[in-house]
Amino acid sequence: MNTFNEDRRNDNDEVSMMLNDLPQVDPPASLAPTVMSTIAEHAKAPVTQPQVTFTRRGSRMAKGTTAKRVLWSVAAAAAVALVALRVAGYPPVEEGTEATIGAAQRYQAPQIAAADVKVEDQQFQSFLQSDLFRQLVNDKAAREALKDESLQKALSDLNVRNALSNEVIRTAISNNAVLWAKYLANNDVINQVRLDAKNLAVLQAALTASPALVAAISNVNIADAIANSNLALVLANSEAMVAVRNDAVLNAMFNASSNARIDAVNNASSNASGNVINK
Amino acid sequence: MVDTEDAAIVARCLAGEHNAYEAIVHRYQKGLFNVALRMLGNYEDAKDATQTAFVKAYEHLDSFNPEQRFFNWLYRILKNECLNVLRGRRPSEPVSLDLPAGSGADPVEARERQQAVQAALLALSVDYREVVVLRHFTDLSYDEIAATLGIPLKTVKSRLYTARQQLGDKLVGWHVAR
Repeated sequence: MNTFNEDRRNDNDEVSMMLNDLPQVDPPASLAPTVMSTIAEHAKAPVTQPQVTFTRRGSRMAKGTTAKRVLWSVAAAAAVALVALRVAGYPPVEEGTEATIGAAQRYQAPQIAAADVKVEDQQFQSFLQSDLFRQLVNDKAAREALKDESLQKALSDLNVRNALSNEVIRTAISNNAVLWAKYLANNDVINQVRLDAKNLAVLQAALTASPALVAAISNVNIADAIANSNLALVLANSEAMVAVRNDAVLNAMFNASSNARIDAVNNASSNASGNVINK
Repeated sequence: MVDTEDAAIVARCLAGEHNAYEAIVHRYQKGLFNVALRMLGNYEDAKDATQTAFVKAYEHLDSFNPEQRFFNWLYRILKNECLNVLRGRRPSEPVSLDLPAGSGADPVEARERQQAVQAALLALSVDYREVVVLRHFTDLSYDEIAATLGIPLKTVKSRLYTARQQLGDKLVGWHVAR
């Protein structure tokens, strides 16, 4: 039966009376023994034993199972990764495209824009229109060699170019691609090539740093380009080097007529790959 | 049994005398079971929730504050278990109302009325249902309900008033035989 306290006796409306009419139900006789036996097992078990939850029909279920923990771990790791990517700004979103409906925000490598390649020097333009440059970039091996950063760095040094402009040195190195260091250490050779100690050290350092340079010296077009002072214009012009590394630009360049090469490059490269060489 | 006795039992349990906990189970099992029964409307679910609440309480006895009433602490654990059960139910899952009927002049009518009251109770939100359950199925006063739920006294009265209004709307036509 219900137990009435003072407040409850004051709840004498119809609803309260119906609620009070609901019987107090005796708990199942097994409740207390089940609880105590579970506690006894718990007392014997290690502290790390998972908590116990009773489910329907009196069965017991361990909470905090491995699967649940793994699920939560994976979810947490995914959340952390998403936050990290978000903070890092991936995928990048270009300005002005935020409102593009349905546009895939996939990553795109930066393309060479019209303003990226500029040819402002008349001498450089002349070099680009020369037969030497045409031969150089039409030579696949030479083009590949020029793409090598160590080679570019080595040839961007005036002292190195000056040293390599000596045909005796180039010939000696190309003939002794493996033993060039020993060759250059020979006093007779040094006397022959007439390099002072400083320039010799610079050349040796450049050759040591760039095996690609050593290999490229035997290429006649590279050799001619090294001997041509205008090569420095290309090597010193980082924007031009971007064009040299880009096959699309080079192909466009040399598919054009020699007289209107630059203009043709501007048009062809912008259509082919978005690369433009501006005057 | 006063709270100091509960605190003493808790101290014995924490000292390793786990059999002492049986006194607490016997003390509160009827009250908690009936609360769970009226909150869940299902005998088996109420039994499972009550058992789980007692075991969890034992496992976390070290976090019990002896200055607090033990029933209040125990009730909060039970309430969480009831909420877990309710959350685990699908919305369309029928709730068994096969509860023991009380005595009366007309047992059949009394049983139907009690089932209607229980169904109306289950239709209340948990916030309203628990104040009704604590009010009518435990010995708690308004003040004690407020302390148990951690809400102001006026909120208890307000919720109780609204809950009874809603129950009255659902139980039109039903009366207690006088």
